Amino acid sequence: MRRLVAIKILLHDRSTTAGAVLGVVAIIFLVGQQLTIFFGLLSFMSALVDHSGADVWISSKNTENINASGSLPIRYVDRIMGLSQVENADPIISTAGLVKRKDGKFQPVQVVGLARPNLTGGPWRFQEGDIDVLLDYEGVTVDQLDLKVFGEPESDDILELGNKRIRIAGFTRNIRGFGGTLIFTNLNKAREISNFSADRCSNILVRFKTGMNNSENLTRLKKILPLAEVLTTDDFSRQTRLYYLKNTGIGTSFGFSTIIGVLVGIVIITLTMYTNILNRQKDFAVLRALGARKKDIIIIVFYQAIFIALLGIFIGLLLLSFFLSGTRDSRLPSYMFSWVPPVHALATIILCIIGSLLAMRRATKIEPASAFR
Amino acid sequence: MKKVATKLENISKEFFDGKSWRTVLKEINFEVYTGEFTIIAGPSGSGKTTLLTIMGLILSPTRGNILINSKKVSGFTENELATLRMKKFGFVFQHADLIPALNVIENILIPSSIQGGTASRQKKDKAQELLEEFGLSDYINAMPQQLSAGQRQRVAIARAMVNDPVLLFCDEPTSALDVESSKIVLDTLKTLSRDETKEAQR
Repeated sequence: MRRLVAIKILLHDRSTTAGAVLGVVAIIFLVGQQLTIFFGLLSFMSALVDHSGADVWISSKNTENINASGSLPIRYVDRIMGLSQVENADPIISTAGLVKRKDGKFQPVQVVGLARPNLTGGPWRFQEGDIDVLLDYEGVTVDQLDLKVFGEPESDDILELGNKRIRIAGFTRNIRGFGGTLIFTNLNKAREISNFSADRCSNILVRFKTGMNNSENLTRLKKILPLAEVLTTDDFSRQTRLYYLKNTGIGTSFGFSTIIGVLVGIVIITLTMYTNILNRQKDFAVLRALGARKKDIIIIVFYQAIFIALLGIFIGLLLLSFFLSGTRDSRLPSYMFSWVPPVHALATIILCIIGSLLAMRRATKIEPASAFR
Repeated sequence: MKKVATKLENISKEFFDGKSWRTVLKEINFEVYTGEFTIIAGPSGSGKTTLLTIMGLILSPTRGNILINSKKVSGFTENELATLRMKKFGFVFQHADLIPALNVIENILIPSSIQGGTASRQKKDKAQELLEEFGLSDYINAMPQQLSAGQRQRVAIARAMVNDPVLLFCDEPTSALDVESSKIVLDTLKTLSRDETKEAQR
């Protein structure tokens, strides 16, 4: 009966219920959307590292993130390959460049040059073509999301990158870096575009043989490369993300907007549920007079909070899924870990219960004697 | 011999009106027997409703004792009093005060299950019997807003009767009704009062 009373009162007072549900939707959607963009940006920051397939990244000493790697002597590759546990070690060059668009304007890009024949650290999703297109000396890949900024080039079109000729050999699908547009090419072309001399590279990507103890191998690598930064892929990815979070204010900005979303939601839920109790004072007094204990009144308000939370979560997650599917193939960073929606929903239920505390307090203060007034 | 259903011993009630204490009831001694139809009358502000709420264990007296079936209830906790109210008493308010979000049958079943669980089959049958008795069997799923004032008050009486209460408290049950509805409600109460197990008051 308590659940029935709770839900029927909510359905009866549709306008106030809608207000409270709106509060929950605000929490779910606003916070969820902020988290989606935040995680999207995080994935952009370390995309190159995360999808490299390498076990270890070697960078110049004190490198803090993938986009600020400095340069390494390429002879390190031979030193690394000297270890019997290493499957392969491939240098890459990561550098900034300018593409001359069809309209004559310039588009800044991040160029990633990969060593043939392994092409380790290369693109991982293709719209058209495959990674082997980068074996061609002039071949580059551009992302389908960036076609517009390049003036809609087609396959085999010739463009200029850093005053050097490049050929569009393949199209990647939804691959972006934190700096925006990513162009993959081979190491020689990247060296030609940039100022990297033949004996230098940005990073070396190491892959161990299967079944090897990675932590022991990491120690060995650190020992033979004392003047380089030797990090596992996971550590380098984490370090890159932390660098941007600390140094760009992204973390603070998203954290602040998330807190605002939560606060707005709680205020709406609290006010609407409290108003609902005020509007129904006589009903609660009658219930008390007819035998409802304070505990029963608290349970009724609790059920209302849960009902509002579940309805709001359902609508909010539905809107969020539309947002996610709408931004999946866009330049907007959007990514959601699978564990986020259930955790977000649980946190929202807790917030709803917190938001209903004031209403519970008010409801239990209603005197049953007021039913006689 | 008639049994004492409730007994008030030296009941006093004082309220603080913000400046001073005001005595509303002073040393009231009063007994109600089973099967009695008792009317409490008096001028406005004389404390009739206060007395009714004290008898109904809704308000606590400032001084004095209340005995239900010869048992003192002064030491009862708030929860025990609520349970006692639900099981032993029925209340009919001035304006019926049905819960507008619940339909007729749900309103009637409130006192049988507001402390948790669902109403038993027996209670549901009892509710239907009462509705039939009061000529409201066609309105079982109607919402309170769809009923006339007289019909609402009869539903309120059915709600008060669903637990077969020892005492039925009615607070000016016809004051908000027109003449015709008042007559129907009073006839209903009179019928009930002939059943020796209940008392209607005020």
